[in-house]
Amino acid sequence: MYKLSRLILTITMLLFMGRTNGQQLSDGTINVSISALSGMQFDIVRFSVKPAVKVKIVFTNVDDMNHNFLITKPGARLDVVNEALKLEEKGPLMNYIPLSSRVLWSIPVVSANQSASLEFTSPAEPGAYPYVCTFPGHGFIMYGVMYVSANNTMPDLKADQNIPPSRRDDKSVAAIANSVSHNPKAHKADHPYENIPPFLYRIFMDDSGPASIAVSLPQDLSYCWDAGSCQLRYAWSGGFLDNTAIWKGHIDANAKIMGTVFYRESSEHSLVIGNPNESTVPEFKGYSLVNKFPEFHYTLNGYDVYELVIPKEDGKGLVRNFRIPNAKGTVWFTSRSVNGAVTYKSSAGDWIDGKLKLTPEQARNFSVTMTNYSLVFNTRKKK
Amino acid sequence: MKINLQSFLISLLLLSGLTLRAQVVSTRGSYTVKNIDMPPGLMSETGGLAFLPDGRLAACFIRGEVMLYTPETKEWKVFATGLHEPLGIHVVNKSEFIVMQRPELTRIKDTNGDGLADLYENLSDDFGISGNYHEFNYGPVQDAKGNLYIALNSASQGGSVRPEIRGPLNPMGRDMTQGIYEMYSVVPYRGWVMKLPHGSSKLEPFASGMRSPNGLGFDLKGNLFVTDNQSDWVETSTLYHVREGKFYGHPASLVWNKEWANRNPFIGPVGELDKMRTKAAVLFPQGIMANSPSQPLCDITQGKFGPFAGQMFVGEMNRDRIVRVMLETVAGELQGACIPFIDGQGLRKGNNRLAFAPDGSLWVGQIAFGWAGDQGVQQIVFNGAQPADVQTMNLTKKGFDLTFTQAVDKKQALDPNNYKFRHYYYKYQRKAKNAGADNTDQQDIKTIPVTDIKISADGKKVSLVLAELKPGYVYELKLGDLTTRKGQPLANKLICYTLNNLIP
Repeated sequence: MYKLSRLILTITMLLFMGRTNGQQLSDGTINVSISALSGMQFDIVRFSVKPAVKVKIVFTNVDDMNHNFLITKPGARLDVVNEALKLEEKGPLMNYIPLSSRVLWSIPVVSANQSASLEFTSPAEPGAYPYVCTFPGHGFIMYGVMYVSANNTMPDLKADQNIPPSRRDDKSVAAIANSVSHNPKAHKADHPYENIPPFLYRIFMDDSGPASIAVSLPQDLSYCWDAGSCQLRYAWSGGFLDNTAIWKGHIDANAKIMGTVFYRESSEHSLVIGNPNESTVPEFKGYSLVNKFPEFHYTLNGYDVYELVIPKEDGKGLVRNFRIPNAKGTVWFTSRSVNGAVTYKSSAGDWIDGKLKLTPEQARNFSVTMTNYSLVFNTRKKK
Repeated sequence: MKINLQSFLISLLLLSGLTLRAQVVSTRGSYTVKNIDMPPGLMSETGGLAFLPDGRLAACFIRGEVMLYTPETKEWKVFATGLHEPLGIHVVNKSEFIVMQRPELTRIKDTNGDGLADLYENLSDDFGISGNYHEFNYGPVQDAKGNLYIALNSASQGGSVRPEIRGPLNPMGRDMTQGIYEMYSVVPYRGWVMKLPHGSSKLEPFASGMRSPNGLGFDLKGNLFVTDNQSDWVETSTLYHVREGKFYGHPASLVWNKEWANRNPFIGPVGELDKMRTKAAVLFPQGIMANSPSQPLCDITQGKFGPFAGQMFVGEMNRDRIVRVMLETVAGELQGACIPFIDGQGLRKGNNRLAFAPDGSLWVGQIAFGWAGDQGVQQIVFNGAQPADVQTMNLTKKGFDLTFTQAVDKKQALDPNNYKFRHYYYKYQRKAKNAGADNTDQQDIKTIPVTDIKISADGKKVSLVLAELKPGYVYELKLGDLTTRKGQPLANKLICYTLNNLIP
């Protein structure tokens, strides 16, 4: 299966890299369709035509911003972009197209969901003819290139200096700015320091509230803590996070976990302080770092709670250390795991029908150890 | 790609035993732009800049770092990590900062003196999050009484709402009839400027009507200013003089105003909204002056940064520009002009955050984050040479007074061909269905002749009489080849005055 998809991919790549990218019309005109995408990108960043042939460009704007389309003389893209900026007050009236001999052909500003076309005869002189949107700010990232060559050749995509750097690894014609690789191997050092567990990211996570905190623990364990409901939402083993999608910016995305979830909690809070019939109102207060492990501080109905999660010594689960300094009345901890394969143990209190009962005294400092049965006994080996 | 190249170059420099020094990009005229070397591995998309009294720079970056930079040694040190898209930083003292991140306003402290933050306190998370990517949070800025102000971006029509949200959902904050290009506010206080009273953790709604208010700042008198970005209902980008209880034009936020409960503010007569709204003190003509203005910063340097003390600088995302704003009170309201401050001198685009160092230099942090932009930090230094520029533009009964930083050539100054005025206005309107998000129409564009010119004895002030002055218009002036008496050409020639009010 893997090999087949790989083969198809390779064929697609070869087709793309070698082909004209245009379609020949009955009168011999080469027809090229180019769209402006969100993220200030053209869908097609390069194509090739033979010298002195008729070319028709159909330019469609599927973005919600305005874009124009200019073809410049070889090497003149940045000059033309800067000339467009210098139009200043004349810019809007001139569609940001400078009066310049370096501009060969142009399509004025095209609004969202509109199309316009341009017909011309390709230059007799072979070369790399840039195309670009010169709307203010766009021209530095939104460009591509028309290669004019007798045998329709283009340089190696990876080494093509005439297309945006982010597009030099496009896998296919359809590869667009918003497509995201979820290859765990692609996750690299993204900071001016090495992240050694424990460390955390406040970041958007799947299956949690918008104020989430993802914590990477030693022993290849990680968990997601929700600063809205003040709850441990879920925990996983394996790799930590791939933030590639979310760090692109300007797009709805979540961090992707790179492991297997072994624990997930239901929406009710595990802790009840005092009257069990009262609904629990959590309030997030923050966290402090204790040996780099975050100790969360929140209140439940006004009572301060501190929670610090560490890996179980054998790596088969988590130990949750709680401090409730001023509890009044009984404190209940209920196992809220939605995974059956979790067993609970506590450092203090009595378990009654799956609920841990603690006196205020015991609640000042206690821990709950959650062992995951599948982590302990799973005999399936990783491939 | 870029970061790799940068790290590679830095490694190369290190290997060759060279000292890392701020690289001078351009020295032209009165200001020098320098690149600050960033630490290898940092994606230096800048969310916030602020200086400590000891001269160190505190900067936060989009992937969650707070870093401290010592200009003398050119060393970066990590202070805090793991923050969620921090877009603003305020210095409390050398071991304590307040950072605006996506889920909350957070107080970050180093309590054990090891130089690393170990306490992250939730100062306030008293606002909603739908999870839409565009719900950026800006600020905080602090007034003289210690109150903090933040601004909450509306959600983008191009994004969605998460399955789990924070805050009650109010679907009325979204135009469900046609507005596929209108930003929305379906959780509390999106599109508002909020105030956190000193010592409180309860945010108070302060002013509404914001679309994408990426920047707050005070002037010397304590007036609060917020920029907003052009698109739906904001026909061109703005600088608002923000006062409590006022509404600035984007309707989505109104759903969190009790008087608008159970009404969809997008539907209904535009005229009603138009009457309610407070107009911008300054408009930045789209595609001409700025497309995505960011933080306004008052020149507090008392001349260390040149002749513009008390005026405001505003970053621009879409090109290599910082805009300068000069304000005056007319008919009891602030209004005024904007002019490019620095163009074509090696400044990058993506100019998101500004801060003055104690030595009077202006530091600029760049960002892209999926928009037109860049990354890094640059420093702009005034080298003492008096610039040739417009110092102020003031409305008079019949036209404008231009005061220059230096005496100008009299003959040139009296030549009407050197003053090309146009006026136009921007319509307050609901964006037409399918109109481009950055489509802007200038209405009633007209050339306005200059009918009389006088110059002061010292050659610094030119008084222009215009054939017509109409309130509600932008007066755009393109200066010709005017030079100083010494023959120095003007640094900037395009200036736009927002004429809300005539002199009574």
